[in-house]
Amino acid sequence: MLLTKTLRSSTFKLALIAIGTFGVIMSAIFSYVYLSTSSYVRSRSDRAVMADYMSLHGVYERSGRDGLIAGIQQRLADKGFAERVYLLVDPSSTPLAGNLKAWPSTVAAAGGWAEFRAAEPLRNAASRPLLRAMIETFPTGDRLLVGNDISDLDSFTGQIELAVISGVALIFVLAGVASILVTRRTVDRIESINATSRAIMLSDLDKRIPLRGTHDEWDRVAENLNLMLDRIETLMGEVKQVSDNVAHDLRTPLTRMRGRLEKAYHGQRIGETDQSLIGDTIADLDAVLRMFSSITRISQIETQARKDGFRTVDLVEIASEVVELYDAAAEQDGTRLTVAGDREVLVTGDRDLIFDAIANLVDNAIKHGRAGGRIVVTNENIDGRAVISIADDGPGIPSGEYQHVFKRFYRLEHSRYTPGNGLGLSLVAAVARLHGARIEMLDNAPGLKFQLWFSAPIR
Amino acid sequence: MRAGHHRILVVEDDPETAGQIVDSLTTGGYQVDLAVSGSEALRRGAASEYAVITIDRMLPDLDGIAVMRQLRDDGVATPVLIVSALGEVDDRVRGLRAGGDDYLVKPFSFVELLARVEALGRRSDTIVKETMLRVGDLAIDLMSRSASRRGKDIFLLPREFQLLEYLVRNEGRVVSRAMLLQHVWDLHFDPSTNIIDVYVGRVRRKVDGQQAYPLIHTVRGIGYCLRAPD
Repeated sequence: MLLTKTLRSSTFKLALIAIGTFGVIMSAIFSYVYLSTSSYVRSRSDRAVMADYMSLHGVYERSGRDGLIAGIQQRLADKGFAERVYLLVDPSSTPLAGNLKAWPSTVAAAGGWAEFRAAEPLRNAASRPLLRAMIETFPTGDRLLVGNDISDLDSFTGQIELAVISGVALIFVLAGVASILVTRRTVDRIESINATSRAIMLSDLDKRIPLRGTHDEWDRVAENLNLMLDRIETLMGEVKQVSDNVAHDLRTPLTRMRGRLEKAYHGQRIGETDQSLIGDTIADLDAVLRMFSSITRISQIETQARKDGFRTVDLVEIASEVVELYDAAAEQDGTRLTVAGDREVLVTGDRDLIFDAIANLVDNAIKHGRAGGRIVVTNENIDGRAVISIADDGPGIPSGEYQHVFKRFYRLEHSRYTPGNGLGLSLVAAVARLHGARIEMLDNAPGLKFQLWFSAPIR
Repeated sequence: MRAGHHRILVVEDDPETAGQIVDSLTTGGYQVDLAVSGSEALRRGAASEYAVITIDRMLPDLDGIAVMRQLRDDGVATPVLIVSALGEVDDRVRGLRAGGDDYLVKPFSFVELLARVEALGRRSDTIVKETMLRVGDLAIDLMSRSASRRGKDIFLLPREFQLLEYLVRNEGRVVSRAMLLQHVWDLHFDPSTNIIDVYVGRVRRKVDGQQAYPLIHTVRGIGYCLRAPD
């Protein structure tokens, strides 16, 4: 199973290609070294033989057969020519001089180079040496052979040959073993990731890919996949939370409507009661529908499609309009709602969405702030960035709750029964994300301060 | 009144919705023709003169916007109210840009539909040229942007004046909250709070407070209507 996977693995195939390429290159290099070494050694020996032969040839031309015999014998006595073999035979192949006992039967040529094995061991050697010799047939029919014992050379090239072959073979074996091990390790890690993925597909979203603690790239892959799984799990949790909340928030008005209608169905038709019952039911239905449109609105903002319609807008202008719209509502609570800060704060964005976001924040401030309190909407240019703050002086919220308030349908326990569907701040968050703006929540001591940090438009 | 000024063409493919729309518009005093497909809408729209055409976005054969474009290309200048379940601002803007005069999102109340049809129908025949508008003892001066009742000035903020002007221009007709947001604040979404009611409440206190009779009336579940007593 694992072996099949190893052999099929792309890593292994890559390794094989690498080994093949490397092997071909290595063989080429070794062959070159072998060939050039052996031909160098051979040509050195050939040059020496040639020089010797030329001088003997000269002796023969000057002093004839007898002079040559004398020259050969003189050389045989000389230790400097110990490796050399000589043979001079007459036309009937009878040896006249030299250290070979007979003309070698394998050498038929009348002249030039010949390579052959000697008929008998030379000079107390145990084996028959390999010889390489220059041959000449003189006009008289006498034949001269001048050569070298190249047994050493032969065994030298033989050793190189052996070294090259065994070296290449060893490299192939080692590389093969290494690639199988590496591939197996890779396949192993991938297999464990695959196994976890399969387990997750079979519904176990809380499973994680095991880390080896080696901090290598495999651990990093596993870490990232695990982070991705965390994110997916969080999102799934949020989706579940949202659907639970939707179900809850829908069930309440739907139950009310059902009860009302059922009572009316069994009761008597009284014009006035029916009228108000139908009116209340329509109002409840409208609330449900509004919740739906808020949800789709947030989803749509989150798809980022609206960025196309971005223009340069003035935060001060939008904030003033929001404040004007909400002034009446603030007045009802005895709250003072004012605009402060710079006279012009430009951002690139969508007026309607920014209006909606600021309106939601102001609305929240009025609802959750102190009756008879003070709400200030401040627009500022800070370090080239546009900032709008909405600050109230109400009870604020515990800093531990800050991170939760942007979740869809999140509502603080004590505000569970005030009007609102818990979608306002998630809309603000969606708008901020679309505009690349950062939201900050600060303690206004007392009260809560929301800040939206936009990046200023390029002018 | 010219012929066809009480005729409305409704383009809607869902039989039940179509029936409801036809009923409510008929009750509102209109003659209603129904087209159940884009091609039928094109045929009828080009053949007769209507006060208003309402077009559903999702039709079996053509997109409502394509129908409207075709009608405009054919020289039909009748105001068009686009009715659609595609409610996001982008869809609204696309509909309006393509030549629609108003946009209504499903689901809607029939009173809202009627209010919008009335507003569109009137737009096609009267263009107010006067600079003074009067309803009962209320007078508003469009030049100086001031309002008074029985000669006594009412102090209004600019936006409050705009709101009153819109109500006065639609005298006797129901104006929904969404219509107010759209025409007074140029906002194409529903801020999902009672903020409009609070705002209108303040204008109402200024306009109707300590007067002989109220002019601004709440229409339960829909919006407001400005009218003088008979």
